[in-house]
Amino acid sequence: MTSFFEVILKRRSIRKFRDQEVEEDKIRKIVEAGIWAPSAGNMQPWVFVVVRNKKNIEKIKAMSPGMFDLPAVIIAVCRDMGLAGNFEENISIFDVAMAAQNMLLMACDLGLGACPVRSFNQKAVQVLLDLPEHIVPELLVTLGYPDESPSPPERRKGVVFLEKYGGDGWF
Amino acid sequence: MNDGELNKEFFELLCYVLTSARGLMDEPKMYGPFRLVDTASRIISILEKHGIADDFLAEERKKIDEGKYSVMESEEKFKEFLDRIIQDFAEELKKS
Ligand SMILES: Cc1cc2nc3c(=O)[nH]c(=O)nc-3n(C[C@H](O)[C@H](O)[C@H](O)COP(=O)(O)O)c2cc1C
Repeated sequence: MTSFFEVILKRRSIRKFRDQEVEEDKIRKIVEAGIWAPSAGNMQPWVFVVVRNKKNIEKIKAMSPGMFDLPAVIIAVCRDMGLAGNFEENISIFDVAMAAQNMLLMACDLGLGACPVRSFNQKAVQVLLDLPEHIVPELLVTLGYPDESPSPPERRKGVVFLEKYGGDGWF
Repeated sequence: MNDGELNKEFFELLCYVLTSARGLMDEPKMYGPFRLVDTASRIISILEKHGIADDFLAEERKKIDEGKYSVMESEEKFKEFLDRIIQDFAEELKKS
């Protein structure tokens, strides 16, 4: 079994997919991992729309400049603005981001490739998915069997300090 | 929308160009050149699919797709990559 830290290190943004279906039980597990993310005040302001129909995926891709190949599945990670009150409106973006990260790691652990995509037109995706005004798509998670194994992009150094900013640090 | 394959591909390309235009108003500056070079790749892909692209274009499309993500690594690498592609096109243009 891969250790949890290995999964974290192994996860890459995968942008090229094989033309192969993803099993439903795997998709369910990924979405469930999203549902178990932490959220401010346990608000759980998320809504997930799973898109598997090829024609629908092609339409979403057409309105998503940040998507570079046809994935087998798209999970639209949305924010329910009705649940996000004044205080939660800003903070709830963290909640959906954490849900998305859970999904990316779960996908990696299941041997799938995934990529978070923010470069898409939110209005267009609302139209395509019949989302009401208050359900805002924040991120698209593309999923599929990977057709590439990109080398890890470098991580910025000097970002961890001890006790105070600018002093001794790690990494 | 017309059902023809070429029509569909160009329609999707137009969707891409228009949503890019809107997206770029809020996105990092370097995404502009990135979208343009990606547009070039997408145009060549359509030509390839319909058997219109010559060997030069097919080769350049591969080079573009291999090099375009250098935009995520460094501006310098991306600039070098673009300069190389442009040089290839200039040399090809000179031959004609
Ligand atoms: C909020 C967010 C939005 C992103 N949007 C896109 C996108 O639109 N298209 C894309 O190809 N990658 C996108 N990415 C992926 C990043 O480019 C990628 O995470 C980064 O280059 C580091 O690579 P890695 O994920 O393999 O570690 C996004 C990542 C995040 C966190």
